[in-house]
Amino acid sequence: MAMIEDGPNRPAESGGRPIRPAFLPSDLDPTVFDEGFLRQLERLLLLMRSPVRGGLKGGRRSVKRGQSVEFADFRDYALGDDLRQLDWNVLARLEKLFVKLFVEEEDVTITILLDGSASMATGRPDKLQFAKRAAAALGYIGLASEDRVAVSVLGGRTARRRIALRGSGRIFRLLTELSSIQPADGPTDLVAAARHAAAQLSGRGVVILLSDLLDPAADRVIRELASTRSELIVLHVLSPDELDPPLEGDLRLVDSETAEGIDVTADLATIDAYKGRLAAWKEGFAQLAARRQATYVDLSTEVPLNELIFAELRRRRVVA
Amino acid sequence: MPFNAPLALLGLLFVPAVVAMYLLRLRRTPTVVPSTLLWQRLAADVEANAPWQKLRRSLLFLLQLLLVVILALLAARPFVERPAGLARDLVVIIDTSASMGATDVPPDRLSAAREAAKEALKDLPAGGKVSVIEAGRTARIVATGTSDIGRVRQAIDSIRPTVGRGDLGDALALAQQLAVQSGDAEILVATDAALAVPPTTKVDAPIRVLRVGDPKGSRNQAIVALAVRTAPSAVTRSVFISVANFDLEYATRRLEVWGDDHLIETRTIPIDAQQRADVIVDDVPAEAATIEVRLVAADDADPDARPDLLAADDRAWAVVPPQRTRNVLVVGKGDPYLETALSYLPNSRLFGLTPAEYPAGAVRKDGTSWDLIIFEGYVPATLPATPILAIAPPISSGLGEVGGVDANPAIGSLGTEEPILRFVDLSTTHIAEARHLTLPAWARAVIPGTKSAPLLYAGVRAGLPAAVLAFEPRQSDLPLQVAFPILVANLTGELLGGSAAPTAAVRPGDPVTLTVPPGAIGLRVVRPDGTATDLIPGAAGGTSVTFTQSDLLGVYTATPIAAPAASPAASGRPSEAPSGSPTASGTSSAPSPAPSGAQGVDPNQPIRFAVDLFDVDESAIAPGAPRVLEDLGKPQPSPGASGAPGGGNSAVDTRPNARDEVWIPIVFIVLVALCVEWALYHRDAVLRGWRGVTGRLGRLRRPAGNG
Repeated sequence: MAMIEDGPNRPAESGGRPIRPAFLPSDLDPTVFDEGFLRQLERLLLLMRSPVRGGLKGGRRSVKRGQSVEFADFRDYALGDDLRQLDWNVLARLEKLFVKLFVEEEDVTITILLDGSASMATGRPDKLQFAKRAAAALGYIGLASEDRVAVSVLGGRTARRRIALRGSGRIFRLLTELSSIQPADGPTDLVAAARHAAAQLSGRGVVILLSDLLDPAADRVIRELASTRSELIVLHVLSPDELDPPLEGDLRLVDSETAEGIDVTADLATIDAYKGRLAAWKEGFAQLAARRQATYVDLSTEVPLNELIFAELRRRRVVA
Repeated sequence: MPFNAPLALLGLLFVPAVVAMYLLRLRRTPTVVPSTLLWQRLAADVEANAPWQKLRRSLLFLLQLLLVVILALLAARPFVERPAGLARDLVVIIDTSASMGATDVPPDRLSAAREAAKEALKDLPAGGKVSVIEAGRTARIVATGTSDIGRVRQAIDSIRPTVGRGDLGDALALAQQLAVQSGDAEILVATDAALAVPPTTKVDAPIRVLRVGDPKGSRNQAIVALAVRTAPSAVTRSVFISVANFDLEYATRRLEVWGDDHLIETRTIPIDAQQRADVIVDDVPAEAATIEVRLVAADDADPDARPDLLAADDRAWAVVPPQRTRNVLVVGKGDPYLETALSYLPNSRLFGLTPAEYPAGAVRKDGTSWDLIIFEGYVPATLPATPILAIAPPISSGLGEVGGVDANPAIGSLGTEEPILRFVDLSTTHIAEARHLTLPAWARAVIPGTKSAPLLYAGVRAGLPAAVLAFEPRQSDLPLQVAFPILVANLTGELLGGSAAPTAAVRPGDPVTLTVPPGAIGLRVVRPDGTATDLIPGAAGGTSVTFTQSDLLGVYTATPIAAPAASPAASGRPSEAPSGSPTASGTSSAPSPAPSGAQGVDPNQPIRFAVDLFDVDESAIAPGAPRVLEDLGKPQPSPGASGAPGGGNSAVDTRPNARDEVWIPIVFIVLVALCVEWALYHRDAVLRGWRGVTGRLGRLRRPAGNG
């Protein structure tokens, strides 16, 4: 099995396009995943913080008691209960009728909101590319856990919802969908797009937002999504150029979305001030997410994808 | 603050230029970033669109403005004034005598004198003129009446040490000529005041002495004499060396004698304070052409240590006299014993005449005289003007009174110090008969006899060496003894002058007259440092040239420059072999001297001469009293004393102030400003580099700590 480090996570370093596995569909970007990475993803399950309700049975526990093999509790027998659930041992010992309750396992909908604004297409490595890979990895984990996975792309003022998928066999469809995502041409109103996405959610589930949050009202995005019944996971993606800008001298900084310019003398004091402001900005998001029972993870696109899945998100208990 | 060049303040016009350049320097590089969201407030902090705000905040800009202002001030040459300590016309005399090479003040006295003179120039009034005189063997002007202090400093620095005797009197006389033209002149003498020749020249200007040297710096031992003499036998040579200790303490030095770069002998010599020690080294190898004597430290542990303060007098050179073929004429009936003994003499040719042929046949064709004439049983009426050895003179003459014949004369008590009798044993000698001689006043008895009749006496008669032997050798058993050839060798050696002529050394700077050999058009003189000088006689047919560049110590070599078409015959070698020995038959041929080069020396051989210091006055390096020089000038005028006779002080009162340019602190400020500007300009790069290094170190430590 090929090592993950040699996989599609580092196409630029290998100097050429990776070899496309034969089983992958032809319209799939081979730089997203390779076979070895997919096999490792299978071993992971998305860890939910609390049992959720769902319309279909899945690999997750539900607050409802049901037909699984995992014992949950006893209750007094009531008329009409299935006698097959009666605990005969207790009846023989205590001469009382108790019914065994089992944990009901349900599937959930994992909604991945991918920020498709123009700013996501910048940075080295590319933030959108990084977000696509992360979304594919997380989506595959969901599919392998018999969850339903839906992908929405935030661009302009809307959230374009793709088809919901279920079952690990649909992974290639998921990858194809992700490969086709292109960044928006104009400016993106992230709040409006998030509100639109929130409106599309039905029932409880998991919402994973992959965005650089470079919007003046990004905090409102978190509020909008956290106010839904779904559990919110915010993966804040920034490139190394944004974390430690390699700028020097008298510059005119041009916004990649609005093309507006701003004059800056990028000396060390300015860079330090920028870093301080960036740290405070991220800290604000983290505190907001904590208040809203959401999970906030700030990521650098420099982090290798396998490290992201197997270490970073595990550490944050996003995946098990 | 006054300025020497106030027009240079126009350089302040560059200030607006710098401002304008800052205002215009607003071109910014466009850079695409994902979003300007996080830069908004920062941009407000470092707002650069408003030019005046930028100017107000830029420390670099302020530093550059400061630099422009400082450089303009520097170009204007600001100065501060103070009363001048020197006259308007200054004559600086730098003593370059050999004693100025003493190292009691590092690196040497001359360097200290140069620095002292340059330091004294700071007291020169504004517009003052300076002349510089180098006082060596003769005085030399190196700068004349210039107010360009830089040029004066350059002239002072160009003065080099000499190894000769200095003459401050000559320099003072020259300074007097320069000072007499000015109403306000002063003479500054930088010297150690160790004067070989105390000057007596009175000068019509104040003299100020800048004395250099440690007053206790007298630690010097010197070679004050060196000579190479041929032994009486004319076979071996001896080196005579005299070493003087000028220190006030006892000293021990080691003397090394080198012959043509080969060490011949080493001796350790103790010398008392202010005393001399004489050393004689015998048996110098015959092939040695030059002798060098070195005075080195007696302690072998530190060969590089300077044994004394003056090195110039620790080495001396001497040229071994060249072997010259002597022409000896024997006038007599012929004595085979004598002829055999004479034939053993080195570098000599024998000629013979009978008394009848003398003096007509004794005239040499080349006009030269005989080196020695031996009259055997014969004395001419007129004695020739050559060294003479008379054997058994029959009659009285200028050589001495003859009073008959003594039979079986006995040999008296012999002197042990007599050089002619060196290695001569006469204890078994018997004489059948001898002339009864009377010792003349000009001679000393070499072999005394009985009855006050010397058997052999020698001396200098009429300026020429002469000796008289009272008996014929064949009238004794002396020819049968080993002592006979030795006696003949010693006797002829003294008569031929081999031991009487010291090798003369040339003083540094003294002109040397050299004879151009026949067939050569001139001489090429190679100095001890390897530089060569061609000397051609000034007049056609001239036979001598004068060499004047003898300012270095050591051995000089003069080589004849051959004429382009010189023939071998012109080499000057004798064209004929020595004639046969005179015989008793008197049939020997008349002497036929060679046409040229009759002295038997190859004229194409290089001529060597040595230049040595040998100056006791210069080797006595203890600094003297400045007053000896200061008393030769006028007393120093004091400012304000206008009532002094002669009104000389009016010049002092009207003398301009001295100016001290204050460029050093300004340049220092400029350098500091440049450093600050550089640090400011590159502070980001430096900090980034530092953070990168510390970051990497931190990452390296973390895994190590975890492991």
